Amino acid sequence: MTQAAITEHHTPVEETSTGLNNRKLLMWAFLGSDVMFFGAFIATYLVYRGKSLVGPYPSEVLNIPITTVSTFVLLMSSLAMVLALHYVKEGEKNKGTLWILVVVVLGAIFMGFQFVEFREFAHLGLTPRTNIFGTTFFILTGIHGAHVTIGVIWMAFLAYSSNNGALRSDNALDLEIAGLYWHFVDIVWIVIFTVIYLISANDAPPPGMETITH
Amino acid sequence: MASLWRKLTHHDGNGWWNLPHTPSNEPNPPHEGPIGGAWLGNMWRILTHGGVSHAGPGFYWLVGLFLSIVTLVEVWLFAVEGLGSWYIPLLLFLSLLKFIGVVAFFMHLRFDHRLFTYLFGASMVVGIFIFTLLLLLLEFGNQPPN
Amino acid sequence: MTTNALTFPRFFPRPQSETGIWGWIGTVDHKRIGTLYGITSFLWFLIAGVEALLIRVQLASAENTFIGPEFYNQLFTMHGTTMVFLVIMPLSAAFFNWLIPLQIGARDVAFPRLNALSYWVFLFGSLIMNAGWLTGDAPNGGWFGYAPNSGVTFNPGLGMTYWVVGLNILGVASIAAGLNFIVTIMNMRAPGMSMFKMPVFTWMTLITSVLLVLAMPILAVAGIQLQTDRVYGTHFFNSLAGGDPVMWQHIFWLFGHPEVYILILPAMGIVSEVLPTFSRKPLFGYPFVVFAGIVIGFMGWFVWSHHMFTVGLGPAANTAFAMSTMLIAVPTGVKIFNWIGTLWRGNIQLNTAMLFSISFIAMFTIGGLSGVMHASPPTDSQQQDTYFVVAHFHYVLVGGALLGIFSGIYFWWPKFTGWFLNEKLGIANWALMMIGFNLQFGPQHWLGMDGMPRRIYTYAENMGWEGSNLAASIGGFILGFGILLFIINMIYSRMNKKIAPADPWDGRTLEWSTSSPPPVHDFDEVPQVKYRDDFWFKKHPETISEYYHNEHDLVVEEDAPVGADDAEEHGDDHGGHGGIHLPDKSYYPFILGVGIAIFGIGFLTNTYVIAAGVPIFIWGMLGWSMEPVNDPT
Repeated sequence: MTQAAITEHHTPVEETSTGLNNRKLLMWAFLGSDVMFFGAFIATYLVYRGKSLVGPYPSEVLNIPITTVSTFVLLMSSLAMVLALHYVKEGEKNKGTLWILVVVVLGAIFMGFQFVEFREFAHLGLTPRTNIFGTTFFILTGIHGAHVTIGVIWMAFLAYSSNNGALRSDNALDLEIAGLYWHFVDIVWIVIFTVIYLISANDAPPPGMETITH
Repeated sequence: MASLWRKLTHHDGNGWWNLPHTPSNEPNPPHEGPIGGAWLGNMWRILTHGGVSHAGPGFYWLVGLFLSIVTLVEVWLFAVEGLGSWYIPLLLFLSLLKFIGVVAFFMHLRFDHRLFTYLFGASMVVGIFIFTLLLLLLEFGNQPPN
Repeated sequence: MTTNALTFPRFFPRPQSETGIWGWIGTVDHKRIGTLYGITSFLWFLIAGVEALLIRVQLASAENTFIGPEFYNQLFTMHGTTMVFLVIMPLSAAFFNWLIPLQIGARDVAFPRLNALSYWVFLFGSLIMNAGWLTGDAPNGGWFGYAPNSGVTFNPGLGMTYWVVGLNILGVASIAAGLNFIVTIMNMRAPGMSMFKMPVFTWMTLITSVLLVLAMPILAVAGIQLQTDRVYGTHFFNSLAGGDPVMWQHIFWLFGHPEVYILILPAMGIVSEVLPTFSRKPLFGYPFVVFAGIVIGFMGWFVWSHHMFTVGLGPAANTAFAMSTMLIAVPTGVKIFNWIGTLWRGNIQLNTAMLFSISFIAMFTIGGLSGVMHASPPTDSQQQDTYFVVAHFHYVLVGGALLGIFSGIYFWWPKFTGWFLNEKLGIANWALMMIGFNLQFGPQHWLGMDGMPRRIYTYAENMGWEGSNLAASIGGFILGFGILLFIINMIYSRMNKKIAPADPWDGRTLEWSTSSPPPVHDFDEVPQVKYRDDFWFKKHPETISEYYHNEHDLVVEEDAPVGADDAEEHGDDHGGHGGIHLPDKSYYPFILGVGIAIFGIGFLTNTYVIAAGVPIFIWGMLGWSMEPVNDPT
């Protein structure tokens, strides 16, 4: 039964034992691997939550309104991504290119937010060397930022291909795979936004240990 | 129970939340996709019977809207005081909703071959298990058993 | 077909030559990459062996001054690290590369260029990790690199930085290889070969690959954290700033215990191929062996804290992990009984490969049993950090993994090369290795029980440890001579070539159906699979009814013959390979590997070097992604 079900919707170019495309399978397996990568960083963050001995403490630096905006930007880039894939598959070159460009722009805006945030934190006296919160926060969000950067470069490349006519409906799989990566980066941010920002933003310094007076 | 599980997990059956399913390399038949042509008119049919096509732009916009709303609710929860010990579980639940929204629909797991779900799901399960175990271990490991 | 495809300027033509250094650098052939893995890791094996012998010389007598404590620390660190990451893992990878496409009836792995990248990254990573020997500060914090001892406060200098950077680069190679083999085994099987018709070695490779893909990222996280602690002054493991050194142990062993199964599962797969062949019976309880492997692969994630019983995690944690550790012995025991069941009433042929496999069972059982002993926290508190543990894991890794690998070498050597290894020298090699190995590690059980701690460079005279240590050292050299005999065997057999036929052992799996050594395209015709051990039943159709009793088993899925049409479809594209579709050679994996290596060197020296790696990395990436797998002809 499964055999019949599988052969029904395999992509026409590749013929494989499962009927699934090799590269797509590779990307999903890689995402599984990346789950463990981010999982270990997030677990480290949670283990060390509230263990800082000196300030600044999370409640003194985390800025929820601004991060909400950047989270929204990243979520919308995911939406743009899936729309881009849809139009590229439909063969609508201009719309496809446009939405890929939207992904690039939104991704770049997110990176901008992160850059500003890091600079602001450094200004408030929080660096990776300041305390355990700084260490875990900067390494986790920095690694995520590196993933975003790779994604933006990849997307820019695909926008160029699409505009050039090299990315068409028959090889939309290239975009689909890049999209899987992009969405994954997005879901990691969903977790980070909840765990680091919303949950930890209430982590106030111990009484008498306030470092920053607003 | 078994049938509920089947409904929840089975892709090409008629589970109550099953979305329409066609090969992702085939175009949607016009006006038949989720929110394909008629907007809310088709919603009931899509949610109850499934159709013949994978999702279209309208549906993706809807998911995007859903994600935004959930994010707003999360931030609203942050602003609300007095949730006490409900705060963290609520947030985790909401971010789980967003997670599922992106993975199931934007990443097409809902429309795609189940092997992808197994592959990704297996690593999620292992990851969540071991890291939760790690947190529990560091939190409660030192208490004597009674 | 692609009218508008992007192209990247080629600075030199695609590699064409089959031979010479450029032929090897540009190769994407899984058999050649397997050979490269094999040779490289064998060289590391010899180096790590010499390190071990130096340790044994130092410990042969009490209060020896042959080497000092600093050098001793470097020796045991690099011996462990090399043996785990540069010997057993890549030797297994050599078998994966050589055998998986042959066993599943494919013409190559799913991603030949990624496969080449894995090898080059592995090679550069291993060189970076060992670079410390040249500068005189080799890593010295143990293969587990426990913080804070591996931190910059207690371990200044570059030593542990080489270790961290090297490990992270090796991790990239391992993840890439793991992903590649997952996809290959899922997607490239010959028509008719469903998952439960796959050879057991292929199954164990699949499980190992999944473990690699999921475990290596955790090591990468540990590595990044230690690296930033060492170089950028973060506080992950700095208890003065609220960090927790125990966290390092947790993250390392979260990776480290699956790693143990990454090391042993391939050897279990090899043994599961050798034993049926030379017992002339199918593997006893194939589904049990496979499921036991899967269960081990899953349960292996939930036992990591048994490495940390003495840390003080608390009674609840220790109890839970003691139970899970004892439980994981069950699937392992299932496998052992299945192997014994395979031998039972078989028509046993005792040649070198078989001897190695049988001794694998015996030695691995000893190692496994001593492992169950320290699954119990009270017992473990006595044994922790003593030679008892050293004896245990050497029985598992040498008596288990390495004997399995040697069995595989003798078994598949005719397939790899087209000629046999000498049997008499082989048996002498086996005998010396067994005697030496048991003489070396057997007494260490007693030493450990007697309280001799690990990782000490010398010991006092009146402890009563001299005799056992001397025996162990003598055993070490006998083991060394065994390995030497293997090298002699290779040279001797090469000089007196005894040509091997395609199927010298009356084998059971598909790799024996093609010539020895296999042609570049592996199979002239992609095999159609009907049964488990299909090749055997093709040769001996009269035995089918013996093993397949009811009609249900005989039903074959009516698959479209996937690969078979391939040759015809693409026949016009590539006349050069006799109408068979093979990926073209490429330099880009090597270039990308160099880029990654330069990043690694940059982390060791300074940031400008990283900047120098960027253009090469981008060149490799862009060139790779825009290079078609096959040039249009």
